[in-house]
Amino acid sequence: MSVVSSTNAKAAGPTRLGGVLVYLRTMALFVLAWYAGSLLVPSKLLLPSPLAVAAALRDTALNGELFGNALISLARLSASMLAAVVIAVPLGLLMGRSRLWNDLLELPVEMLRPIAGIAWIPLALYLFGIGHRLPLFIMFYTAFFPLLVGTAAGAAAVDRRLIAAARTMGLSRSTIMRRVIVPAALPAILVSARLAVAASWTAVVAAELVGAPNGLGYAIEYYRSMLSTPTVMAFIVTIGLLGFLTDKGLRQLSRVLTPWAQTGAAQ
Amino acid sequence: MKRVALRLLVPVLLLVGWQLLASGSVQAPRPSTVLEAAIAMVRTGDLLSGLATSLGRVFAGFAIAACLAVPLGIAMGSMPTVERNLDPLVETFRPIAALAILPLVILWLGSGSGAAVAIVAYAAFFPILINAIAGVKRIEPSLMRAALTMGLTPLTRMRVVLLPAALPSILVGMRIGLGIAWTAIIAAELAVGAKSGSSGGIGQMMFVFYAYSIDLNGMVVCMIAVGIVAFTLDRALRWALAITVPWSRI
Repeated sequence: MSVVSSTNAKAAGPTRLGGVLVYLRTMALFVLAWYAGSLLVPSKLLLPSPLAVAAALRDTALNGELFGNALISLARLSASMLAAVVIAVPLGLLMGRSRLWNDLLELPVEMLRPIAGIAWIPLALYLFGIGHRLPLFIMFYTAFFPLLVGTAAGAAAVDRRLIAAARTMGLSRSTIMRRVIVPAALPAILVSARLAVAASWTAVVAAELVGAPNGLGYAIEYYRSMLSTPTVMAFIVTIGLLGFLTDKGLRQLSRVLTPWAQTGAAQ
Repeated sequence: MKRVALRLLVPVLLLVGWQLLASGSVQAPRPSTVLEAAIAMVRTGDLLSGLATSLGRVFAGFAIAACLAVPLGIAMGSMPTVERNLDPLVETFRPIAALAILPLVILWLGSGSGAAVAIVAYAAFFPILINAIAGVKRIEPSLMRAALTMGLTPLTRMRVVLLPAALPSILVGMRIGLGIAWTAIIAAELAVGAKSGSSGGIGQMMFVFYAYSIDLNGMVVCMIAVGIVAFTLDRALRWALAITVPWSRI
């Protein structure tokens, strides 16, 4: 998994400005090709021009619809992530450090984990109906397993010599957990939190698309049924941008929280 | 013996609790009724044909993604100019979830297999690409220099040095991509089924159970089937990884 998360660490530093210029050049070419394509495709419904999408972006931003729906989706993401962290991280630490807990929980986790959160949507529709609880449940479920498994792996991989040293110094078990195991496992926990947020952000779109009365996924589906393709694209751009920014933020957070682990995690 | 009992404790408790909780309501699925439904669905062949439709779409989309992502990833990994110029596009589109573009894809390709395959291809593309790039970049420079010193042609270098060294990482990307593809197909079929008519597949089947026949037992059977397929796909690729690239320890 770390393969995926570590590759896009860009070579920051002296070439930063050059990187921005290359980025702008590539994206300008892309937008130009898109514009040319939109001129060739006669239907504005199928492929609106980038200008139309920009206008839709401006309109939805001005009337507050963009921010309103984005805030709702982000609030759902935060709430379900918080719940997942509060439950999965302690359980993961227990599973990683205690054979008893691992024996108790490993089998049910391995049985439930392959069932994608998205596959729960129909059952959740029946249980919760359309509303807040459905996307919250789906996102919580999606975030829970990467966090649990990542935390357990991180806690199990803590250097034994560290724990032995702490024991020799007569620290209590709870102090060892707090001062040795949690800090040592923190980089792994943060990496799995990033994976969990990314998965959860994918699930919010699916959950809102089918079963919520608001949010970004709902807005996309609503404007599709209104056949307003530029607005659909504007919301898609928003989803991508927010996903990118959340990941950036979490990467920054792990840089601040675990500066000692950056050589390994950021390649 | 005691460990086996410990391991089975929670699953058994969960099943018993589920059976007890659900026995209050007539409609709620219970382990016993789910088992009955599963047997019935396997007998009629509905479950297997639904799974086969979905798996066919996953493999088609996955094949498209792999054919595009592996060569592109090798090119981006071995030629810095290509990487520098294409990386902005990759970084821009990667955070856009496959499901977010689903409405657009339905608009372009309709609500049949084409749309489902396209979603799968998009979902599987990025993990394969990113891991292929990483795999090529992590090749020992001394290996490449040795190949150069021996005067190998670029094609032979690719075949003898680059591909074997990057293969483990490419296969890891494929494993991740296939897992994501399987999730994406369920969501795509669910959403397509929710909005329009018939497209088949296990996701659509679940939606029909929810919306039309309100058969919760069948729905749970589908969920379990989805989990079993995901598990099997993952194990199959791990196994393929262990066989084809025994020299890697990823």
